[in-house]
Amino acid sequence: MKSFKYTLLIAISALFVACAAPVDRSIVPMPASAPSIQLGDYSSFTLDNGLKVIVVQNNKLPRVSYQLTVDRDPIFEGDKAGYVSMAGDLLKKGTATKSKAEIDQAVDFIGADLSTYSSGAYGAALTKHTDALLELMADVVLNPAFPQEELDKLKKQTISGLASATTDANSISDNISNAMCYGLDHPYGEPQTEKSTEAITRDDLLAYYNTFFRPNISYLTIVGDITPEAAKAQAEKYFGAWKQAEVPSMSYEKPAIPDGNKVCFAPLSGAVQSVINVTFPVDLKPGENDAIAASVMNSVLGGGVFGGRLMQNLREDKAFTYGARSSMSPDPVCGSFSAYASVRNEVTDSSIVEFLYEIDRLASEPIEDSTLQFIKNNMTGSFARSLESPQTIARFALNIERYGLPKDYYASYLTKLEAVTKEDVLRVARKFLRPENAYITVVGNKDEVAEKLERFSYDGKVKFLDIYGRDYVDLAPAPEGMTGKDVVLNYVKAIGGVDALAKVKSTSMSGEMDMGQVINITQKTKDNSMMSLEMSMGGMVVMKQVFDGKAGVVSQMGQQMPMGEDEIAQMKKQSDLLYEAKLDDYGTTAELKGIGTFDDKAAYVVEMTEQDGSLSTVYFSVETGLKVYETSTESTPQGDMTIATTYKEYMDVKGVKFPNVISQTVGPQSFVITYKDIQVNPKLKNSDFSVN
Amino acid sequence: MKTRNLFVVLSMLIGTSAIGQLKTIEFEEYDLKNGLHVILHEDHSTPIVAVTVMYHVGSKNENPERTGMAHFFEHLLFEGSENIGRGEFSRYVENAGGVLNANTSNDRTFYYEVLPSNQLELGMWLESERMLHAKVANEGIETQREVVKEEKRQRVDNQPYGSLLSETMSRAYTEHPYQWPVIGSMEHLNAAQEADFIDFYKTFYVPNNAVLSIAGDINIEETKKLIKKYFSGIPRGTQEIPRPDIIEPAKTAEVRDTILGKDQLPMIVQAYNIPAQGTEEYYAVDMLNQVLSGGESSRLNRAVVDEKELALFAGAFSFGLEDPGVTLAFSLANMGVAPEEVEAAMNEEVERLKTELISDEELQKLKNQIESNFVTANASMAGIAESLANYHMYFGEANLINTEINRYLAVTKEEIMDAAKKYYTENNRVVLYFMYDESLESSN
Repeated sequence: MKSFKYTLLIAISALFVACAAPVDRSIVPMPASAPSIQLGDYSSFTLDNGLKVIVVQNNKLPRVSYQLTVDRDPIFEGDKAGYVSMAGDLLKKGTATKSKAEIDQAVDFIGADLSTYSSGAYGAALTKHTDALLELMADVVLNPAFPQEELDKLKKQTISGLASATTDANSISDNISNAMCYGLDHPYGEPQTEKSTEAITRDDLLAYYNTFFRPNISYLTIVGDITPEAAKAQAEKYFGAWKQAEVPSMSYEKPAIPDGNKVCFAPLSGAVQSVINVTFPVDLKPGENDAIAASVMNSVLGGGVFGGRLMQNLREDKAFTYGARSSMSPDPVCGSFSAYASVRNEVTDSSIVEFLYEIDRLASEPIEDSTLQFIKNNMTGSFARSLESPQTIARFALNIERYGLPKDYYASYLTKLEAVTKEDVLRVARKFLRPENAYITVVGNKDEVAEKLERFSYDGKVKFLDIYGRDYVDLAPAPEGMTGKDVVLNYVKAIGGVDALAKVKSTSMSGEMDMGQVINITQKTKDNSMMSLEMSMGGMVVMKQVFDGKAGVVSQMGQQMPMGEDEIAQMKKQSDLLYEAKLDDYGTTAELKGIGTFDDKAAYVVEMTEQDGSLSTVYFSVETGLKVYETSTESTPQGDMTIATTYKEYMDVKGVKFPNVISQTVGPQSFVITYKDIQVNPKLKNSDFSVN
Repeated sequence: MKTRNLFVVLSMLIGTSAIGQLKTIEFEEYDLKNGLHVILHEDHSTPIVAVTVMYHVGSKNENPERTGMAHFFEHLLFEGSENIGRGEFSRYVENAGGVLNANTSNDRTFYYEVLPSNQLELGMWLESERMLHAKVANEGIETQREVVKEEKRQRVDNQPYGSLLSETMSRAYTEHPYQWPVIGSMEHLNAAQEADFIDFYKTFYVPNNAVLSIAGDINIEETKKLIKKYFSGIPRGTQEIPRPDIIEPAKTAEVRDTILGKDQLPMIVQAYNIPAQGTEEYYAVDMLNQVLSGGESSRLNRAVVDEKELALFAGAFSFGLEDPGVTLAFSLANMGVAPEEVEAAMNEEVERLKTELISDEELQKLKNQIESNFVTANASMAGIAESLANYHMYFGEANLINTEINRYLAVTKEEIMDAAKKYYTENNRVVLYFMYDESLESSN
């Protein structure tokens, strides 16, 4: 019986195969009825110390993760750039009771993950090990020791890492894009360099930690195989003792938009591809009204889908690249737009044409209905797929709390997405995209690529940058046998020569500086040994410096301060027109570093070292011999600052040349002095320089 | 009081049993008459489905005069079919709210779509079209040729230490096809003719050389009907599928070289030839690597990075392959540190493993880490579908997704030491220093 049944079954199934109608493969299968998309739930509560806790229970895997987010404002780090992230890294490299090795061993022993960073910490472990994990996580967050030897090690590693990043085209692209988009004086744009890393001290880390690592601005997100009750008990047990304190908030100026498209190029020797990024700052905050329409707009262009316009154009049609994409990143401080690809050297310019074409097209023509539907379908699917990870619900909950979004922001996300029209897309494209005010950053082979990109800059020039986004100094070797002193003496000759300078007994220069209000400046010198400087505003003297050859005094806001030794030494050099002719007498050495460019013109680059060890780098025009640019680092009450001075429009007064325009940047500030009147050998009295 | 104590003891027992907590991944598998192997896993937690096809062809199946063909073919198979126009493949998937991609290794090529679960049939249609009658127009071939070259420039040439793997493998193997990189030679790609493509497709892209693995929000019976509809009519391949039977001869002397490039910091690479994945000794070697580089407390990291401060990063991993593979230990030296010094420190750690057994505590640490990795590994439908296909294709046993962990946990301290003694020897290795090329200084 049994065998008969079996045979019959085979016969029947064979019949089925035989009878099955051939599939009409030209028919695209229709979807079945749409599944409903369920957003998982979360619960939240706040501990007495202000720590907000979000819990997402999901028992699929026997695992729990804990993410701590310290929600502080971005920090501008200045000449110690990197200390904030170092403080984060160092959290888990030693606590009051445990060494780094002990922490590592304990974390690895339970097969857990534990990482710390400047804005928090993340830990995950199997459910059975969560208490052991939390012991460690709370210890590193609450009791970090910031051991000096670990800081020293980390600095060494960081400096090595920076060295290795000098050839990584993508990290250079990030550096220069951020530097251009936000500016070097913005937390998002400032680079971490070897020098800034070296300047970091343990006190910087402690100060950061003590000020900002506080529960009252933090969130603890717990996800996984745990009930809200158990999560609450854990949060209280491990983070309840964390002390709250007031945390300062910071705000930043909106980055400037460029006057036109500007090509910014970082040379990378031997590069076989150019990393292109078309970028500009965007005023778009997370969850704001236009955020979803902006996201649709970006998807059309190149966010995520292979069917995006950039990918189809630059890869599938032209084969310029392996991939071209774009991103529109909202941010509470300042968002940004980027469109990027790595392309082979010879199509760099053609690729930029296509990037600009696609960005412009999106901002000038409505998209097709089918495109809109395509993107909506894809974003709906993408939203559904993202729910596979329980971390997504946690992220949604965190965003709602952090950015003050409506509670149903994500629950109603698909409805809001469906409501986006093609008019909305065009409107936000016009609002946010700037195909005519973009930074076009390129990292690549200078010789093969750079010149062809000039036409994309509104001013016809390519701005060269170093790997950190600062002005690029490309030094060529100086002529054989030429020394720094030669260059400096050549400068003395260029401004009139020793004989002409020796005839100058006194000078008087007055000029003005426009800082919203006009500030008048008058400088005088006498007998190459005395000088005075006076700044006034609306007829009121706001600052005055006088030096009589031996002593000096600074008066400011009615306060008088005698000059110290260092300032006196400086004054002696500044009052002496023949300083450059007498470098040896002043103990200043000049080393010729090579030939660089300043303002697109060749310049000798000379490093001057004064007797007290202070350094400045001075650029002398190869063509005219004149001093055109100078940078130095000065200690100020705000820390070390880089001072950059540009000298322009030299004019001849009685056989001696003086720069008519001097502009100076000190840290984030800059000012321009324009001289209206320069006199040589005016009648001045010694009493004009009296310090009493 | 007493009952409570008992409860505590019980929960501790449950807590310490490793497998007790692992959720078994249920699946069904069967063969179609044309030889296509099917694996189905049902999970309704999210309304999505991963439709995947794995073809048992990788770079090792290539003609040595046509390297890069397997990977190039992966690109071409998105170009369309009899019923799918050029460029429409991805369009269908993305329009349905899905994602798609593919990747090629030395041993296999893997295609996948992750779709909303109501689009399951679309995924089947697309994959069956690809298997039955993919169509590659000349325009597509030319475009993808350039795209692959850009891929190579982006992922290899313009990548820090991008040539690391190809430089290593070309020395680790003298006979076996693992010696050439998956991306292959651009000259070979330029030389490929239409006949090469047709031949490759007919040989390898046949149901009897593929695994269809589907995971997600599906109804098994409905899914089987669809599979029958779309895949049963695809004819079995008629050509013999070439599988290289080349056995790489054992090394008799260390191979040592210096590679100059544009990367600033010296990178030190040691590659030892090891047994094929799935063999008993392979698991011991993998555990050995875990000792060396599993986590911050691992031996290489502790010694070379933390204590001696010679390197920015130090690690080791087994490059497990179907035929005997390699294991790599590597360090990125700190600025100003000589590579010889780093290598000596790496060797010291390896030598220690040959003379001293690891402690019980260290072994327990390894086991805990492995358990944690296994739990985390199967978190996504696409990941589960791929693992099931892998385990079937390489070991003929999809259920290893649930049981392979036991093979790791069975490795003893002695076996780890034996693996170190047997494979981590001077004669069995390639040592490469990747150094900065000083002559680049003046070339820009």
